[in-house]
Amino acid sequence: MGELVKMVVVLSVICGASGFVLSNLKEYTAPLIEMQVLTYEQKPAIERIFAEMENDPVADRRRFEIPGRDMPVTVFPIMKNGKLAAVALEGFGQGYSGDVSIMVGIDPQRDALIGISPAKMQETPGIGSRIAEPKFTDQFAGARFQDARSKADGGKIDAVSGATVSSGAVFQAVSGVLANYGAIKSDILKTWKSGD
Amino acid sequence: MIRMWKEFSKGLWKELPPFRLMLGLCPTLAVTASANDGLGMGAAVIFVLTLSNVLISLVRKIIPQKVRIACYIAIAATLVVVVELLMQAFAYPLYQSLGIFVPLIVVNCIILGRAEAFAGKNPVHLALVDGLGIGIGYMISLTFLGSLREVLGKGTWFGHPVMWDGFEPFGFMVMAPGAFIALGLIVGAMNFLNMRMAKKKAQGALQEMDGCAACGGCAMATKSREL
Repeated sequence: MGELVKMVVVLSVICGASGFVLSNLKEYTAPLIEMQVLTYEQKPAIERIFAEMENDPVADRRRFEIPGRDMPVTVFPIMKNGKLAAVALEGFGQGYSGDVSIMVGIDPQRDALIGISPAKMQETPGIGSRIAEPKFTDQFAGARFQDARSKADGGKIDAVSGATVSSGAVFQAVSGVLANYGAIKSDILKTWKSGD
Repeated sequence: MIRMWKEFSKGLWKELPPFRLMLGLCPTLAVTASANDGLGMGAAVIFVLTLSNVLISLVRKIIPQKVRIACYIAIAATLVVVVELLMQAFAYPLYQSLGIFVPLIVVNCIILGRAEAFAGKNPVHLALVDGLGIGIGYMISLTFLGSLREVLGKGTWFGHPVMWDGFEPFGFMVMAPGAFIALGLIVGAMNFLNMRMAKKKAQGALQEMDGCAACGGCAMATKSREL
């Protein structure tokens, strides 16, 4: 009997101590990890869309609530001459293997896309991964909102042939971003002063 | 002091984990596409192995015999999550390239093997040097294997070009088959060297089984004593 009690107590104490250490460490590292993820995943994608910017969009990011939705939307502002030149939003689409995350750059003056760039994906190398190639992504540059969908869907973008699912993920991500942007556009323009 | 040196140095050649004991081969093969990844994985293992050895040695007298494995795993798992969180917070690119193999350190047989064979039976200072020795041996092995594959497969070492102009990299060396081929060559070379050394000493190859004797648990050790 004594041995049984000892077994329970020792194992409980070890697991309890472990839980205590880990929950404290998790709390301490959470903001650091969020910053690292943004710096190494989102920031390179933003930099691929915008050649020049004078601020750090990751440091200046802001969260916006959409009425009736749980998840806030993170918006990365791109400033030029102290004024808002563009915004970048991240969108997600269901790819061939897991979520595809696409960074979308939007010009708030002209209501048009500036460009897109994949931030994170695990699509098949050589097949689905071609959605990251300029041949596909460059089509989005300058596209008006209603044109930023596949030709089959009434838009002006050619999907990557042989990579229907991966292309579909991009279209899904872009349309998700545009829907979010439409819902918070007035808030964005209130937060940062735009050009002209 | 001599005993401590002996426990430390055995991990560097005689019981070099991946090449002599054939332990921890999964990350050895999977994350050594570059020298830098090998070094990072090795450093993570040193951290986990040394601390788990010390902690297990500290509590070895209060852990009941019947639940010792569960206790060892709980301690190792905690340390692995600590490493994972710290790596994400301070070395995110390394975390990206090591991926799933960081959480898998917890089931790396080196950790549990050292806990069961050594730390659970020996005082803290010996467990510490044992963990350090085996860990450093593991890190050196992984970095060496990673260097070999990176130099031949990409023509770079820690990201810097080291081969002559016009060198055509053997692309397959950084893929999975390259890992097996490189490992086989290294193990072959080490066995060859060991045979040569054993012959020079004019004692048979049986000498090599000394490492096993320290464990005392397996049939090989008993056999070598009988012989």
